[in-house]
Amino acid sequence: MKKNTSQFYRIIPFLFCLVTFASQANLSFEKIILNEITKMYMSSMTFIFLNQPLINQKGGNKEALFGDKFIDNIKATYQQKHNEEFPLLDHKLKQLLVQSMVEVMEDNKMLFNDEDIGFKGIIPAIFAAQLSAKLATKGIGLKIKFTRTKEDIRNVLNIPDQWESKVMAKIIEKPEIYYDEQAIINDKPAYRQFTPLPMAPYCLKCHGSMEHNPLNAGKDKEEWTNIDMTGFEMENWTLNDFGGGVSISIEKSVLE
Amino acid sequence: MKNSSLFILWVVFLLFSQKVISQQAVTKSINIGVIEYPPHITFQGSKIEGKLIKYISSVFTKEGYDIEITQLPRGRAIVELQKGNIELLLPYDELHEEIKVLTSPLFHAMPGLCFRKENFIPILSATHQFKHLTVGAPVGTPVVSALKNSQAVLVPLIGDNSIKRGIDLTQRGRIDAFYHPSPVQVYHQENTEFKELACSYFHGYSNGVYVAVKPNMSQENFDKLNRLLNSAIHEMSYGYYFAK
Repeated sequence: MKKNTSQFYRIIPFLFCLVTFASQANLSFEKIILNEITKMYMSSMTFIFLNQPLINQKGGNKEALFGDKFIDNIKATYQQKHNEEFPLLDHKLKQLLVQSMVEVMEDNKMLFNDEDIGFKGIIPAIFAAQLSAKLATKGIGLKIKFTRTKEDIRNVLNIPDQWESKVMAKIIEKPEIYYDEQAIINDKPAYRQFTPLPMAPYCLKCHGSMEHNPLNAGKDKEEWTNIDMTGFEMENWTLNDFGGGVSISIEKSVLE
Repeated sequence: MKNSSLFILWVVFLLFSQKVISQQAVTKSINIGVIEYPPHITFQGSKIEGKLIKYISSVFTKEGYDIEITQLPRGRAIVELQKGNIELLLPYDELHEEIKVLTSPLFHAMPGLCFRKENFIPILSATHQFKHLTVGAPVGTPVVSALKNSQAVLVPLIGDNSIKRGIDLTQRGRIDAFYHPSPVQVYHQENTEFKELACSYFHGYSNGVYVAVKPNMSQENFDKLNRLLNSAIHEMSYGYYFAK
């Protein structure tokens, strides 16, 4: 699916930083929490992307992926990515998000340390899905999801709900962060926000075309495969396509 | 005369009330039955180890409870609980209406598939990769919809130890994989016998693992233990405690 409307997506991270950085003082408490949690979530995905060689290497010291060291690394990634300090963990939701990140990595510890397996399958989108699933078990009124338009979704658990589908339709036409303080989720009043993500070169390794597929590197064209390293058929997306986004919802009662 | 009678009555009352108070103090002990659930609880002969034991013990001992831990085989554990010979049983992952549990799950068990390493599928949401795979599933264990609705051929694993049978058949190449309601119990770092297999998980399909409670526990005691566990989990979840 091609949406050539979006050279604009490339400047979204810049806009996002600009908006959150420059006008933090004017934002409501709720919006600040939504922004901080979204950026913490995105930073963890970035760290997972940057550390694919460490994750997939057979053997070696992988302590950087676990416990407090992992959180220190997420904090450093956050600071580098957003050019600001990692948020204070002064709200239960932020504490639980950080703890859930550690738990997800622990769930995968055996696999990470399995010296017989190369590709572990813990790419940013998979880590994000696991983190979302972990948070869902906590019953804390926080939902966060990395999603995309329904027809393009690979994991059924990431299928967008009605609100997300409607918001994405608007965002594809006019890329911007979408905030809704009158939302309802599970019959409860909630704050919701959708932050579009630009398609990045590393997304194309799985979602691009055959020439982007690392499995085809060094092979003759006749031997190329359109199945990516995760086992899915590649979608032939380009950098101009819609990259999906991070959808977050927090029940209002949690922030009162 | 009247005054001395009143005094005697007062002394009797004080003695009696002290006895009641001391009896209440004595009842602050809990017998917890535990079953093996690696890596959270492991048995080394009669020695019981694991972070889950430490976590639960600290929840109750810091409130003044004496803890007695009883090691039990899985099958007998429920019988002992129903007879009231143990007050709590952990961990408990087979929810039945007749077994009462403390309301907060201790953690969540994720079902998954275990493969020979050379056939490992890391991402189980790629269900199209299950096409033509023969997957063993223990009889009586509910299978997640992602697997049930896939094109995998499901074969029943029968016998007293269906998991062991699943491991054997997969290692011998008789089946491509076996389904496990909680593969972390076999695919973990302490299990040196599990070198040829690797497991991946159906994230998003996890089930709560609880503390089960004896049927005749008073509502007052139940509420107290429940409150203690809830507040401990609120302070630091067991999952995070385990990971730290």
